[in-house]
Amino acid sequence: MNQTGPSLKRYALTRLALVVPMVFILLTLVFLLMRVAPGNPVSAALGGHAPPAVIKAISHQLGYDKPVYVQYGHYLGQIIRGNFGTTISDRRSVGSIILVNGAATLELTFFAMLVAIAVGVIVGLIAGRFRDSPIDTGGRLFGIVVYATPVFFLGLLAQLVFGVWLNWLPTSDQASPITQALLQTHTNIYLVDAIIDGDWSALKDIVEHLILPATTLGIVYGGIFIRLIRVNVIRTLKEDYIEAARARGIKERSVVYRHAFLNALVPVITVVGLQLALLLGGAILTETTFNWPGIGHELYVYLQNRDYAAVQGIVVVFALVVVAASIVIDFATAFIDPRVRY
Amino acid sequence: MHLRPRLRHVIVLGLAGLALAAVGVTAAQSKPLAAGHATASTILDGTTDTVTNVDPAGNYDYGSGTVDILVYQHLLDLNAGSTVPAPSLATGCKHNATVTVWTCTLRKGVKFSNGDPFTSADVKWSFDRVNKIHDPSGIWGLISNLKSVTTNGPYSVSFHLGTAQSTWPYILATGAGEIVDHKLYPANKIVANTDVKDLVGTGPYVLSKFTPGQTAVFTPNPNYDGANGKLANGGLIITYYSKSSTMKLALQKGEIDMAFRDFTPTEYTALGKTSGVKVYKGKGVGIRYLVLNVKRAPTNNLAVRKAIAYLMPRQDIASRVYHGQVVPLYSMPPAGLPGHVDAFGEVYGMTPNVAKAKAVLAAAHVTTPVPLTLWWTPTHYGDASADEFSEMQRSLNASKLFKVTLKSAEWATYSKTLGTQYGAFQLGWFPDYPDAEDYITPFYGTKSNFTSNGYSNPKMDAIIKKEEAAKTSAERIGFIKQAQMIAAQDAPIIPYWQNTMLVVGRSSVQNIPKTIDLDYLMRFWLLSKS
Repeated sequence: MNQTGPSLKRYALTRLALVVPMVFILLTLVFLLMRVAPGNPVSAALGGHAPPAVIKAISHQLGYDKPVYVQYGHYLGQIIRGNFGTTISDRRSVGSIILVNGAATLELTFFAMLVAIAVGVIVGLIAGRFRDSPIDTGGRLFGIVVYATPVFFLGLLAQLVFGVWLNWLPTSDQASPITQALLQTHTNIYLVDAIIDGDWSALKDIVEHLILPATTLGIVYGGIFIRLIRVNVIRTLKEDYIEAARARGIKERSVVYRHAFLNALVPVITVVGLQLALLLGGAILTETTFNWPGIGHELYVYLQNRDYAAVQGIVVVFALVVVAASIVIDFATAFIDPRVRY
Repeated sequence: MHLRPRLRHVIVLGLAGLALAAVGVTAAQSKPLAAGHATASTILDGTTDTVTNVDPAGNYDYGSGTVDILVYQHLLDLNAGSTVPAPSLATGCKHNATVTVWTCTLRKGVKFSNGDPFTSADVKWSFDRVNKIHDPSGIWGLISNLKSVTTNGPYSVSFHLGTAQSTWPYILATGAGEIVDHKLYPANKIVANTDVKDLVGTGPYVLSKFTPGQTAVFTPNPNYDGANGKLANGGLIITYYSKSSTMKLALQKGEIDMAFRDFTPTEYTALGKTSGVKVYKGKGVGIRYLVLNVKRAPTNNLAVRKAIAYLMPRQDIASRVYHGQVVPLYSMPPAGLPGHVDAFGEVYGMTPNVAKAKAVLAAAHVTTPVPLTLWWTPTHYGDASADEFSEMQRSLNASKLFKVTLKSAEWATYSKTLGTQYGAFQLGWFPDYPDAEDYITPFYGTKSNFTSNGYSNPKMDAIIKKEEAAKTSAERIGFIKQAQMIAAQDAPIIPYWQNTMLVVGRSSVQNIPKTIDLDYLMRFWLLSKS
């Protein structure tokens, strides 16, 4: 690590410095795209109900009749002051949306990622270990099918089978209405809040509500890990040090599980970071299917309402999360694998 | 090699986290739901409506209005079973000779949920702040005729209007007339939805928790005196759904007790066949209509508009598309409201008539088939809109008098365009108050018509003006009827259905029929749960 330390630090600083222009470009793009799209928040909210004069007056009041460059200058000024603005459609601060709904998305994507990794690692390792066997074929087929399945379709199936037919699990929401009513908010992450309060019945309820959406989203993205890990296992099993281990008379089980499998997992960490962006995209559909009050679900609603401030704020947060995850993954990779150099 | 121990540390940490969660879950399984007993009479409702603002000065949408009538009261309220505003926080309201000043006497002894006494200062404060805040929701538009509010002691208040307005009592019963505590609500800004301790009213409930887009939790208001009906349950939790299909599953599984607004026609039909679930139905006041641009060809030709009116397939749309969950409508004010007349039925008949449509086009020397583009939106009026317009297209084309092309646009685009570019287009209307006037003035007045379809008729304008200044109800109803007949003759808008108020409840919820009426208000406090 001593050898990689200074270069890693330089790399990290460069990455962090690049965040600024990246966010600026993204802000500008989203700002322009929202303005190019027909309609505005006022017409979406009041059109078909209020007289044109009222719509015009309110648009003026909110500054939507000003030239785009003036609006853009004002917006950037707000952003520099750390103010992401307030939504037009329901007057929430974008910061509170990120905190409250972002926490719900964090909870969902975290557990979905755990499911994806668990499914990917188990099926991928087994498929790679028993290459070209029926187990391998089955594992590969499973990986392809789940990855190709639209997440909302899998979600609907899961709701139908486990929620309706078997009646094992709730079909929607982050918790039952009673739990939501009584749960004290500390972190906005329901699981954590329930643990902080020691409210085990609420925790049980929250976990039950989490299972279907997290599993649905996780399984879909597990398909990617299955293929990746399988290939890595096959390649690792051909490495010289595996041959050497075998030549030293180490038991096959030990060679496979202690030497090959653990090394095959290293590239997965990189892919986890890359998958986060896809996972957030999938979370939008999952959240809508399961009425999960995440930030993706809110983005969908605000887009329909042409809520400029909300869409701009949420998209930037998505981008920042992906960038942050990417940097963390780089650090983690360097920490775990000393062969990595920056 | 350092690889394995480090990776192992990461894995061990991850597994420890999972184990912690697993321990929690295992422990949870041995305990009952602590809240279950305490909330046995709490009603769990689901809705696809959304809430913009709870503060009455900042909302003008049905979802927010539903929350507000639970927390706030008006001087006059629309009580169950009546469409006439009745005394609530006021004991009565009277107008002067010119119908430009309305004076209300307030009820004594009323308290807000926080214990503050209700006085005329609260009334003046509530109306003044709606105008002062001038919220982008446009709620202030409802009281744009209000010039000033004066108090005459603690229990009397006068509203001074710009022009005569006989329907002012109805305005008092709208969202713009909800009374807030002047000690808590700022004069010039909205109270945030999450600041529930400051969202204080005199209504049946206290909003005790609000999570935007997720839940609204209501507990009984200890100071509510039952003026709008006795509170019959121990509280209410509204869960907000983004998709009706998810809400349907939750209702079928018993995760919620009832649902109000809104399922698709197919879902309502399926729920009606579900064991333990009942669909309650009553007349509604929401309407759907086709706007025809009188300045744009081919609908600038009166004969073309009349031919469309002759051919409108109201029954087919109601039965085939909506499975009977809407009823054919023959005038803008829906059936059931005082003053409604089946004007289009009288002028064009109650069923489609191809022969008369053909005759009216022939008399005007219009070449057939007339090319006609019908615009509709898939993102605002429900999933059935596509089928609704396919049915309309099928019917008009079948007459061989029209060649209809359907075009659609997403709501944000559609709502901004309307009559500025569309010749014939779909719109829906839900009234601000259940009176026929609210179905006439916004559509047919030259200055008040919001559809941008170019309609203007001096005779209609004169009738609207007389109606607004009418001193008796009978006189006003007379003008309303005249306006409807002119509207049918000119046919700038063709109404075709009115909705029904549909509420779905599990068998554990009682008294739902008590709140189903033309006011279209969900008075949750009247419901009980066993």
